[in-house]
Amino acid sequence: MEVRTELYWESTNKFGEELCGDKVEAVQSPEETIMVMADGLGSGVKANILSTLTTKIALTMLREGSSIEETVKTIMATLPICKIRKIAYSTFTIIRVDLQGNCYIVEYGNPPVMLLRDGKVLRLEGTTREIDGKEVKEYRLRVQRDDVFIAMSDGVVHAGVGGILNLGWQWENIAQYIEKISKVETTIASLVKLLSEATMNFYLDMPGDDATIVALKIISPQFVTVFAGPPQNPDDDEKVVNHLIEKPGKKIVCGGTAAQIVARVLDREIKTSTNFVDPTIPPIAWIKGIDLVTEGVLTLDRTCKILTRFIDTDVQYSELRQLQQQKDGASRLAMFLLNATDITFLLGKAINPAHQNPGFPKNLSIKLNIVKELVDILDKMGKHIEIVYY
Amino acid sequence: MRTISVCVGSSCHLKGSYDIIRIFKALIKEHGLEDKWELKAEFCCNNCRNPVSVRVDDSEPYSVDLESAEAFFKEKILGA
Repeated sequence: MEVRTELYWESTNKFGEELCGDKVEAVQSPEETIMVMADGLGSGVKANILSTLTTKIALTMLREGSSIEETVKTIMATLPICKIRKIAYSTFTIIRVDLQGNCYIVEYGNPPVMLLRDGKVLRLEGTTREIDGKEVKEYRLRVQRDDVFIAMSDGVVHAGVGGILNLGWQWENIAQYIEKISKVETTIASLVKLLSEATMNFYLDMPGDDATIVALKIISPQFVTVFAGPPQNPDDDEKVVNHLIEKPGKKIVCGGTAAQIVARVLDREIKTSTNFVDPTIPPIAWIKGIDLVTEGVLTLDRTCKILTRFIDTDVQYSELRQLQQQKDGASRLAMFLLNATDITFLLGKAINPAHQNPGFPKNLSIKLNIVKELVDILDKMGKHIEIVYY
Repeated sequence: MRTISVCVGSSCHLKGSYDIIRIFKALIKEHGLEDKWELKAEFCCNNCRNPVSVRVDDSEPYSVDLESAEAFFKEKILGA
């Protein structure tokens, strides 16, 4: 069973602080997912610098194949030493999951990671070892589909300390709460949001520490196939449409001529609309059995522009909801691609003579170039991409 | 019911499909023709080299631009 991951996180800053001392960075590459959450010593700028350095170093080194020892040693040797406390310090939690479902977690100083499996929160069995005089905890396990790992900074378990809760919001209580809400909340975003809200409530909206919650869910691959541009040889029309139809998952057609080919081969009608949601993007159309039908180059170009912004994971998590509400073809396409883990492009190489005149925007004249740009962006997001030329 | 189809493919879109549709919508309303004429969008009708392609029922595509839109409507729709 091949697996992919879905990630969501939220941070709340300590009351009165402009910067968060917790930092989360993640990379979802075609080989694996690595998530790093760090909590820098203190708060504000100093903590922010410490945790940012920690996540960057950890993510970069692990990605390039360094061992956990080397990575931890490098972090310890690099972090600037706090003038007051005379130590360089940032806690961290690293979760790494490969495509085959092998999971490795290493934890230093953060509350233990929770695993929500079949409605129950499990405390993982790990081993402790010493690296450079620091005690780190390690866990190795096989994941199952729908497993959710939840990592949090100590700002969450300390919520309410000295205020409305004597001992704070303890691990076991959080686990119980998660079990309760997971019965009704099915997305990790809503789970994290509720946890984050509860944390804020215990702090009476004045958090005494930065509080961060990360959820990482194990999902099966989400397939999307995009057919763009008519085949160079019209004899291949049927072949490319069959290819599209036989692929599992969502099916998308970009381009008027491509849509007509699909409609003809499948003997189905194209339903169009004169309703321009956005005057700069041609309206979408509908073909039974196809999840999205859009115009070609203009829509693809706009989708590129939208997704360029979304490479930044911070933007991804803060603006996703907004994007979801946009109903134009380019935003819809962007949404489909963002939600996908595995994307196949069926690219026809026929040249549209109408795009080869001086009046047509130069950068749009070659559809393949736009798709290549799009593929570059999706590649950076860690999507699995396959391109088949026709 | 008769139909008037405006191409919204890439080329026609860049040449002003959006405005042509806007003008036609307004004209259909102005002349109270909603019961007789349906305004539709159409994907590429292979007449991309010319300005916005418009078809009346199953006619060959006519080329219409912003300046000629109203005259076209008078001739082909009102005069029909």
